[in-house]
Amino acid sequence: MFKEVMKKLWTDKFARISMIVLGIIYFSLLFADFIAPYTKDFSDRTMAYVPPSKIFVIDENRHISKPYTYNYVRGFDSENLRITYNLDRSKKHYVKFFSKGQPYKLFGTIPMKRHLITTDNGGRLYLLGTDINGRDVFSRILFGGRISMTIGFLALFVLFPIGLLYGGISGYFGGVVDMLMMRFAEAVMSIPSFYLLIILASILPSGMTSVQRFMLIVIILALIGWAGFARVVRGMVLSVKNQEFVQAAQSIGASRLRIIVKHILPQTTSFVIVAMTLSVPSYILSESGLSFLGLGIQQPDASWGNMLKEAQEYTNIIYRPWLLTPGFLIFVAVLAFNVIGDTIRDVLDPKSNK
Amino acid sequence: MEIIKYILKRILQAIPLLIIVSMISFFIIRLSPVDPLAELRLNPSVSQETLQKETQRLGLDKPIIVQYGKWAKSFIKGDLGVTSNGEQVSTKLKERIPNTLLLTTIVIFLTWIVGIPLGIVAALNWKSNLDRILTVLTSIGMAIPSFFFAVLLLIFAVKTGWFPVGGLTSSDFLEKSLFGQIIDIVHHLILPVTVLFTLSLAGLQRQMRANLLDVLDSDYVKFARAKGLSEFDVIYKHALKNAINPMITLLGFEFAGLLSGAALTEYVFQYPGLGRLILEAVMRSDINLVMASLMMGAIMLVLGNLIADILLIITDPRIRRTNV
Amino acid sequence: MNKLGYVVLLLVAGLFIHSCVNVDLPEDYDKNKTSNIKSEKYYREYPTQLNVNKDGVDYLESQAPIGKFGGTLVASTIGEGPKTFNPFNSKDNISSTMSEVMYDGLLATHPTTGLPVPKLAKDFSINGNDYIVHLRKGLKWSDGKSITADDVVFTWNNIIFDGFGNTSTRDSMLIDGQLPTVTKVDDYTVKFTTPKPFAPFIRNLSTPIAPKHVFEPAVKKGKEYFDGFMSTNTPVDKFVTSGAFRLKEYVPAQRVVYERNPNYYVINKRGEKLPYLDKLVYLIVGDINNEVLKFEGGELDVIGLQGANVSRFKEMEKYSDFEVYNMGPSTGTMFLTMNLNNRKDAKGKYYVNPTKQRWFSDRNFRQAIDYTVDRKNMVFNIANGLGAPLFTAESLNSIYLNKNLKPYDRDIEKSKQLLEKSGFYWDKKGKLFDKYKTPVEFDLYTNAGNTEREAIGVMVKQDLEDLGMKVNFKPVEFNSLVNKLVNTYDWDMVIMGLTGSPLEPNGGKNVWMSDGTLHMFNQRPAGYNKDDRFDWEKKLDKIFTEGALATDFNSRKKYYDEYQKIAYEEKPFIYIYSPLVISAMRTKFKNLYPSMLGGLTHNIEEIYIER
Repeated sequence: MFKEVMKKLWTDKFARISMIVLGIIYFSLLFADFIAPYTKDFSDRTMAYVPPSKIFVIDENRHISKPYTYNYVRGFDSENLRITYNLDRSKKHYVKFFSKGQPYKLFGTIPMKRHLITTDNGGRLYLLGTDINGRDVFSRILFGGRISMTIGFLALFVLFPIGLLYGGISGYFGGVVDMLMMRFAEAVMSIPSFYLLIILASILPSGMTSVQRFMLIVIILALIGWAGFARVVRGMVLSVKNQEFVQAAQSIGASRLRIIVKHILPQTTSFVIVAMTLSVPSYILSESGLSFLGLGIQQPDASWGNMLKEAQEYTNIIYRPWLLTPGFLIFVAVLAFNVIGDTIRDVLDPKSNK
Repeated sequence: MEIIKYILKRILQAIPLLIIVSMISFFIIRLSPVDPLAELRLNPSVSQETLQKETQRLGLDKPIIVQYGKWAKSFIKGDLGVTSNGEQVSTKLKERIPNTLLLTTIVIFLTWIVGIPLGIVAALNWKSNLDRILTVLTSIGMAIPSFFFAVLLLIFAVKTGWFPVGGLTSSDFLEKSLFGQIIDIVHHLILPVTVLFTLSLAGLQRQMRANLLDVLDSDYVKFARAKGLSEFDVIYKHALKNAINPMITLLGFEFAGLLSGAALTEYVFQYPGLGRLILEAVMRSDINLVMASLMMGAIMLVLGNLIADILLIITDPRIRRTNV
Repeated sequence: MNKLGYVVLLLVAGLFIHSCVNVDLPEDYDKNKTSNIKSEKYYREYPTQLNVNKDGVDYLESQAPIGKFGGTLVASTIGEGPKTFNPFNSKDNISSTMSEVMYDGLLATHPTTGLPVPKLAKDFSINGNDYIVHLRKGLKWSDGKSITADDVVFTWNNIIFDGFGNTSTRDSMLIDGQLPTVTKVDDYTVKFTTPKPFAPFIRNLSTPIAPKHVFEPAVKKGKEYFDGFMSTNTPVDKFVTSGAFRLKEYVPAQRVVYERNPNYYVINKRGEKLPYLDKLVYLIVGDINNEVLKFEGGELDVIGLQGANVSRFKEMEKYSDFEVYNMGPSTGTMFLTMNLNNRKDAKGKYYVNPTKQRWFSDRNFRQAIDYTVDRKNMVFNIANGLGAPLFTAESLNSIYLNKNLKPYDRDIEKSKQLLEKSGFYWDKKGKLFDKYKTPVEFDLYTNAGNTEREAIGVMVKQDLEDLGMKVNFKPVEFNSLVNKLVNTYDWDMVIMGLTGSPLEPNGGKNVWMSDGTLHMFNQRPAGYNKDDRFDWEKKLDKIFTEGALATDFNSRKKYYDEYQKIAYEEKPFIYIYSPLVISAMRTKFKNLYPSMLGGLTHNIEEIYIER
C-alpha cells in the first residue's frame, strides 16, 4: 500500500512539488551545521539588524570576478536619529565554498570545520541579514527549523500510542468502561484547545534547560490532540469489533489486549496515516502561535515561531523584511503538508480506486 | 414532546462533563508556579499588609482541594467571584461574550455561504483541475499563521486608511445615529472576520466535498439515477440534502474551533472578546477569571453541539427514530 | 502544467541569481556621520499659572497664549485598561492615571522645576512639622457643590488614615508607627502635622481630594463596599470631580472618554474657564505595535516612541502632521543584580548555593561584571542608539543625581585584574575558576516576552562569557520571576527594571532599606529580625532613615549623594542604560510645553486645537 501511495503522490503534480519542497527543507535541516555559515548562537553585536550581504561577481572595473562581499559599517544619523548601514569598501571578502569556518559537530558527533558557504576570517556573510543581537538569520532559520519542523512529528509520536490504546480499550470493552473513558475524553475536548494550550504552556516551570522545555511543549501539544483522536479510534474499533476475524480470534481464546493490539488497531492504519499528515501542519502553527505569545521556545534558542515574533513589529516588517523569512517558510511548509495530506486522503479513500 | 425529553437528557449528560472540565482546569491552573500577586509585589508602593489582605481574599493560603470546593460552591450559586483586581468576573464576561458571539456567528455564517457551494463545485468536478485548484487555494488560507496574517492586514489598514486599526467601535461612537453605529461596527469587523474566514473556510469546504462524494456514491443515488431522474434532480433534490445533514453536527465543533482560533486574532486586532480576555487572564494567573472563561467556553461548546443535534433531528426524521 | 512548473522554477532561480549577482559600483555616502545623539532639543519655558481672584473666586490663571475651545485629544494606554476609577483604590499606573484626570490634589509638581505648586490649594506654608494649606475660595465640584476644608479633612482622616482602599499612601507616611494629623482650622484652611520632621510629606499633598458628600456614604458601608466603589461598572453620571475632566463613557477593553468639567478652576487670561478641549479620550491598546499602527492610522493624537520607530517617525515628520519630541532619559532604571542572600530556608537549605554566595558577595566579582557589561553597544543595538548608559542608582533626570559619579567604558582587562585579585584563574581554554577550583557557572533570568530585556540578557551572557564564565540565560514568565525574587529567592542573577521617582529618592526606600519589600539583592522575609546586614547595608539604612527626616534640599542631597556613592562602589545593582523618552504629537495641538518630568500633556487644560 505504501508503494502505491508514493506512486500516486509522485504522479500528482501539486503533491510532487510539495514533496520536493519538504525534501529540500528537511535535507537542509539535517545538514544545518554544514550549510549554515555560522553556529546558532554566533553573534557579532556590532552587526545588529544588518541587511543581507551583497554578493558581487562583477568588480568595480567591470570585470567578472570571484564572488565577494563587503562588510557593513554602522553609523548614526543624528539628524534623523537613525542607524545607517554602509558598505566598507576598503576590503573585499571572497565567498568561499567548502572552506574552514567555525567548528561544529555534524549530527552532534563528527567534529568538523568546513562549511558549505563562508567567507574569510574578518568578513561576515549574512545571506539573510541579522537580527537584533547580530545573529545570522539564515543560520538561525536552519537551526530553528529543526525545532519547528520536528515538533509536530514528535507530538504525534507521543499522542498516537495514547490515543490508539485509549480509544481501542474504550471501544473494545464497551459498557461502563467505555462510558467513563469517553466522558473524560469529551471533557478534555470541551475545553477550547487553544485556551488549554496556553494554560498548560504558562504553567511550565521556569528555569528549565532548552531541551526540557522543548520536550514539555511536545507533550503539551500531544495532550491537546489525543482525546479527539481516541474518540475516532473508538468509533472505528466499534465498527470492526464484530467482524468475523475478531470473533474468530476471540473464539480461539486470544487475550483481550492482544486482540486490540494485533487485530483491531491495525485496521485503523490508513486513518492514522491520514491523520498524521493532516495534523502535522496544525502543530507547526500551534508552536508558532505559542511562541508569538512568548510561551513557546525561548531565546536564545531559535524556532520559526519565536523568530517570527520578533519580525512582526511594524518597523521590522517595513525596514527589515528579511526577518520575515521564517513566516514565509512556515507558510510553505504547512501548505506542502496540507497538499500531501489531501492527496493521501484521496488515494486511501476507496472510492478513488474504482 | 419527545424532543424536550431528549434535550433534558442531553443537559443531564452534560453535567458530569462540566464537572470534569472544571476539575481539570482548576488543578492545572493551581499547579502553576505563577504568583497571582506578582504585579502587586513588584510595585514599590504596595505594603506588606496590602499583600497579606489580598492573599487571604483570594484564599491562596488554603490547600488546593479547599480552594476548589470553595470555587465550585460559589459557581453553582451563580457567583463567579472577583478577578485578581477586585472586579466582578460576571460583569467582565458579560462585556466580552456578546462581542465574541457576534464575531463567531458572522464568521460561521460566511463560511457556510461560501464553503458549501465551493465544496459542491469541487465534488461535482471531482478530480478535475478545478477541484485541485480549489483545494490548494483553500489550503493557502489555512497555511498562513493567523496572527501573522492579522498583522499584515493591520498594516494594510494603516497604509490605505480604508479600515480602522483594530477595536470594535470608534471613539465618537456615542454621537453617531443608530445607522451610523451599525456601519461603524461593520467597518471594524471586516478585517478580523477576513482572517477567521480564511482560516476556517478550508475545513468546511473539504468536509462538504467529502460528504457529497460519499452521498453521490451511495446506493440510493444510484437508484435515483437508475429511475431516470434528471441529473439536476438527483444532485440538488436528493444528494445535497443528505450531504448537508452531517455538516450540521460539525457546527458545534466549528464553533469551539473558532473560539480557540479567535484568541490570537482578537489579540492582534485588539478586539474586546473572550479570547483576548482569557489570554490576559492566563498571563496573570487570574484563577477566577480563567476558570469562568474556560467554563463559559465549555458550556458554549456543549450548547453548540446540542443545538446542532436538535437541528439535525428536526431536519432528518430518520435520526429522530434511532436517537430518541 | 509541466511547462508552468519550469517557468516558476526559472523565475525563482532567476531571482536568486539576481540577488547574488551585483555590480560593485561605489555609491556616495557621507562618511562624516558620527554616532553622537544630538543634545536634547531646547523647549520653551513653561509659564507658571498664577493665582487670581475674580468675583470672590480664587481662580488659577493660565499664562499660556489664549486658545480656541473645542475638539478632542485621543491618547492611549497600553494594557487592559483601568481596573477602577476610584483614586484611592488604584493599585496600578493605568488606574491611577485614569482617576487622577478627574481628581486634583492640593498640590502638584511643577513640570520643569519639580517644586510643589498649588492646585486646589491657593498656597501653603511649612512651619517645622506643621503644614498650613489655604484652599481656594468659591471652587465647585462638577455637580455644583463647594469644595471646602471638610472635603480635605474627610479625605485624609476618613479615607486614607482609616485604611480604605489601597493603604500604600498611608503606609508611606508612617513615622515610627505614627501618622500625621489633619485638622480643620476654618472652612478654607487645613493644618497637617507630622509627628517628626519628614521631608517627603510635602509630596503626599498631591494626593487627590474626594468629594465628601459622595464618598461619605460609601465609607460608612465599610471597607469591602469601598473596594467596589466608583469602579469601572459605576454609571458615568455618578462621578463628581474636581479635575479638568469628568468621565463620559467607558467601553471595556476599548476606550475611556472624558468630557470637560464646566466648573474647573483654571481660567485663561480672558477669564474663560478651561479646559479648551471638549473631550479627552484614552484608547486601550494591547501592545506597542498596535499603538504605533493606531497613530499612523490617524486614530491617535499622541504616542510614546521607542527604538526603530523613532527614526521612522523622524523621517515622516517632515511631510506629516506631527512633531517628534525628545524629553531626555527616562526616569526608570534597568539593571543586572546578583543574589546576595546568605540565609537558609525553613528546611535548613541555603537559598543560594554557598559557592555562588562566595562569588556574589565578593565586591571584586561584582565590579568585574560591571566593567565587562558593554553598555555602549546595548544602547546601540537594543535602544537603536536612543539611550544613555547608566551608572547611578538615581535616574539621569533625578534632581538628586550625584554628578560626581563618572561613567566609564567597558574594560575587560580591569575585570580580569579584579577577578585575579580575588583568586580567580583561567585554564588553557579560557574557562574561569575560583580559588577553590570550582568553575564559575550560574543562571541569568529575566522576564520572557520583553524583547528589550531578552536582548540585553543575550548580550550580557556573551559579555560574561568573554570573562570565561558560563552563564545559563533563562527568560521566565514575569510572574514566576517575581515569585523567585520576593518569595522563593532561588535565583543567581537577574535583569530587572524599576520605575524611578526623580523628585523624591525616599520612594526607593523599599528597595534600599534592608527590610524593604523590594530589597531584592538581599531580600529578607517579612518579620525577619536577625541583624545580618552587610556594613554598607547598615549605612544605607541609616541614610534612608535620616534623609527622610532632614528638611531642606541641600542637607538631603548630601545623604542621597552618599547612597548613590555606596551603590556605585558596592554594585548591588549593575545599571545598564536609560532609554530616551520620545513622543510624537499632532501639530494641530498648541500650547505644548514638553518637559522631562511632566511629559507632553501635563498642562492638558491649556492645550487647544488650532483650526
